[in-house]
Amino acid sequence: MDAGALGSQLVLGLSRGMLYFIVAAGLTLVFGVLRIINFAHGSFYMLGAFLSFTVTEMMGKQNPNGFWLALVVAPLVVAAFSIMIERGLLRFVYGQEHLIQMLLTYSLVLIFGDLVKMVWGTEFKSVSVPGIFIGNLSLAGIIIPVYYVFMLVVGPLVALGLWLFLTQTVTGKICRATATDRQMVDVLGINSTRVFGTVFALGGWLAGLGGALMAPMVNIGMGMDTSMVVYAFLVVVVGGLGNIWGTLISALILGVAEALGVLFLPNLAIVVPYVVIGILLIIRPSGLLKSVW
Amino acid sequence: MQLRRIIPWIMLAVLLVLPPVLPRYYLYLLASIFVIALLATSLNFILGFGGLLQLHHAVFFGVGAYTFSILLLKTPLPFVVAVVAGPVAAAFTALLIGWFCVRSRGLYFGMLTLALGQLVWAVIFRWSALTGGDDGLHGIPVPEVFNSLKTAYYVTLTVLTVCLAVLYLILKSPFGLTLMATRDNPVRSESVGINIRRHRLAAFVIAGFFAGIAGVLFVLVEKSVSPSLLSWSKSAEIMIMCLLGGLTTFYGPALGAGIIVFLSMKVGTYTEYWLLVLGIILLVLVLVLPQGILGFLAEKYSGRGGDKGGWGKDASG
Amino acid sequence: MRKRFNLHYLAWTVIVMLVFGVLLTGCGQATPPNNSGAAGSGGSKFKVKVGYIDSLSGPAAAYGKSTEAGIKIAIDEVAKAGGPTIELVERDDSFKPDLAEASAKELVMNQNIDILVGTINSASALAVSKYAKDNKVLFINSDSMSEKITGAQGHRYVFSIVGNTAMIGKAGAYQMSKMPYKRYWLAGSDYEFGHSVVNSVWTNLQQMKPDVQKINESWWRVGESDFSSYINAIRAAKPDAVYVGSGGGDTVAFLKAINQSGLNKEVPIFIHAATDHDSLRPLGQDAPEGVYGTAFYFNYFPDNAMTKSFGEAYKKVTGNYPGFAGLNGYLTIKFLAAAIDKAGSTDKEKIIDALEGLSLDTPVGKGTIRKEDHQLMLPMVFGKTVKSANLPYLITTDNVLIPADKIMPSVEEVLKTRKK
Repeated sequence: MDAGALGSQLVLGLSRGMLYFIVAAGLTLVFGVLRIINFAHGSFYMLGAFLSFTVTEMMGKQNPNGFWLALVVAPLVVAAFSIMIERGLLRFVYGQEHLIQMLLTYSLVLIFGDLVKMVWGTEFKSVSVPGIFIGNLSLAGIIIPVYYVFMLVVGPLVALGLWLFLTQTVTGKICRATATDRQMVDVLGINSTRVFGTVFALGGWLAGLGGALMAPMVNIGMGMDTSMVVYAFLVVVVGGLGNIWGTLISALILGVAEALGVLFLPNLAIVVPYVVIGILLIIRPSGLLKSVW
Repeated sequence: MQLRRIIPWIMLAVLLVLPPVLPRYYLYLLASIFVIALLATSLNFILGFGGLLQLHHAVFFGVGAYTFSILLLKTPLPFVVAVVAGPVAAAFTALLIGWFCVRSRGLYFGMLTLALGQLVWAVIFRWSALTGGDDGLHGIPVPEVFNSLKTAYYVTLTVLTVCLAVLYLILKSPFGLTLMATRDNPVRSESVGINIRRHRLAAFVIAGFFAGIAGVLFVLVEKSVSPSLLSWSKSAEIMIMCLLGGLTTFYGPALGAGIIVFLSMKVGTYTEYWLLVLGIILLVLVLVLPQGILGFLAEKYSGRGGDKGGWGKDASG
Repeated sequence: MRKRFNLHYLAWTVIVMLVFGVLLTGCGQATPPNNSGAAGSGGSKFKVKVGYIDSLSGPAAAYGKSTEAGIKIAIDEVAKAGGPTIELVERDDSFKPDLAEASAKELVMNQNIDILVGTINSASALAVSKYAKDNKVLFINSDSMSEKITGAQGHRYVFSIVGNTAMIGKAGAYQMSKMPYKRYWLAGSDYEFGHSVVNSVWTNLQQMKPDVQKINESWWRVGESDFSSYINAIRAAKPDAVYVGSGGGDTVAFLKAINQSGLNKEVPIFIHAATDHDSLRPLGQDAPEGVYGTAFYFNYFPDNAMTKSFGEAYKKVTGNYPGFAGLNGYLTIKFLAAAIDKAGSTDKEKIIDALEGLSLDTPVGKGTIRKEDHQLMLPMVFGKTVKSANLPYLITTDNVLIPADKIMPSVEEVLKTRKK
């Protein structure tokens, strides 16, 4: 085992973690503020990937601008969908029990799954990696595909953007306050449901972004909603429900642990994340960080 | 209201005399409905009456079914031992998972059941030497008598009746009443000296036990198991059944199970978009009839609204 | 504080969503037209209802839909040629074995069907097969590649038209044994199919070429989205060659990752079905060159009239050329129809007797259903991916046809697994 391989694996683990973070961040954000477990998050992710496919197809498969346009358009369309869902459906159940709210989002999973099949068909789809990201970057024995370097840049940018939103804007501050103590926010006369639309759209945007970012790496097809969202749920639980920084930490830990597992225990790599999750949950049953930003 | 008391007995009587006139497919359909009805009722025991957000109940169903199947297929143990071991293993799994989960509350509880349930799924999916992996186990050697659909029908109906009776008695017992009290007002319950965690854990284990019984029944009817039994979508499907029938009613989940299983077979004959149909049903249900069919009827005809309590208002409490 | 639900808003939302849906439909591709149904062609002596269970939705729907198209094409062809009229009754199992079994029971008990075909999900196929055995109905496995179907769990009432994991392994090992590589890395999707394929390849390769060594194995979860760490680990171990046993969607994603990392330029990679059209077409020009793979079918090799006619018929219906799943559906119906004609009856027992030993010409060569284990013996194809000058996707080069007798486990071996 040479140092280059180990170094590459660590960096790849980090980029994998960033990817988990981008998908899971929206989930935990919506949970923290709206107190809704949004099962449809995976559907938004899938929708983002499929929209990205459509945009790149319309731009012409070899057009390098297609990817960038998709990166902008797909998350926005998903966010628009999210707003419609929040305004048109979710807000009628805010006074209801958690279970009712959750099952509403689950009905969307079922509906979106079949709608995507109706619109795009069942065949596998693929989005090309834009020209400038093809190939490997090689530095001191560490070899990384360029696209992963890009992911390593986007991940922290998303985290930074979220941090700015939550600490520097009024809406963000209301979000944090709502997540920490909703009764207090209501007592202060701030209508906490007012920010719900924004947050839900932001959650959808993040899922759509995750889908669009993943599109050049994965096989776009039926079932990609559930295979990702279950993992995102685990990341969110380990990180501490509703806590974005906890999610970031747990996503990175999981990403690196998985990558190292692949290197050192390739035979049992699939078990490694579950063992890590199990250990973390035994040590800290309520997540790594508390639900306060 | 007198009529409401009689309806279940009438139902039972009808179901008992039906087999000679039913085509064999409907015997099978009803038998599988009975299995799922028991599963849904066991979920509602903690979800509706215990107020606990159990999001991955299918895990106990699957553990019961798998334990029973593996014991019959790979060990020389007698049938009776396997029958008992199924529910016991399910209850034991419930104890393990519950022990972690009851420490957290509300949605956190729900997320933990989901995460830990997913771990159990992963174990069964991965441990292919024992469980057959995603290929599942087929041709479980259940005793000859169960090969007749009529036997399967009567056995599932009997077990369902007995289990419903037991669950009903538990709910009416001091334990059940206390459980509902911890759901309606956890703070006050705690202040009068109820150990909420232990109570909830006990309820969780009981629900797991009955789900395990449903798992054994499933194998008796279908004679095969696969990891999709404990999939996340299966759990959601059972929750939909509970909601459809009425979370606050005792017979609601059984009714919901009947409707959903029947519809899934019927709609499946016309279109491959059954999940879309299910999604729309669920959406309309959530928006228009969140109290469920029986909950709605109870509200309408008794004016009392069944056992409404404060379900979920304090689910985070 | 329950907010009263307002129908007005719901109507509004539904309208907006519908508009969106219609717009999206414009961008996306329309579902292929189904010109199925052999009604009206007339002239056939026999009419038979066939129950078809498959994953028409869920993660494997790409294959289910492809098989469905193949089946419908064959039904049309058979009817036009004056063969039996086949009425297809379809059920979607959504990739759920319990639903598949329930559907089988519905078809048999409620629709009085005694011929079933399907399904891509192995657990579904095994469950339906077991039900068919207990209730003495005919089940023809069109898609599932589990070797248990005609192997350990085989019986009189089940037939398999598609090759299985044991055959895939033998064919792969046969080709790999001719190459000079010694130190292998094995990898795959962490589920039954992946493990069976890799296991079979390795056992056979060790027999054919005793000096091969296994460096290590790595396994990823089904639906894995990021293969870079797996590729890096393989690269670090510097094997002579890599064998990968991955399932449908994973194969496509893994090929994409190979191309991005350039692993194909450093080490020879063997993947079953990597050369299949269904794996290569979605990737367009982004598929890696120089990847070796066995497959059940290439729609351009061997270049004969049947390959052409089926390929064009399939393209007319679906808009694309077929991969193996399309051929499986097609062959399933062809064999069934031929058996009905041979038996001169639609009685299932007579059809079974007719199927045993039945031979037909297929696009891949002559196919015979082995009497002893009910497995269709068909040659397999092998090739290396290469960019094509005038096609938008990769094809294969250095194609060879592996004769059926090189890939079939012997009858004794198969029957031994049934004894256990």
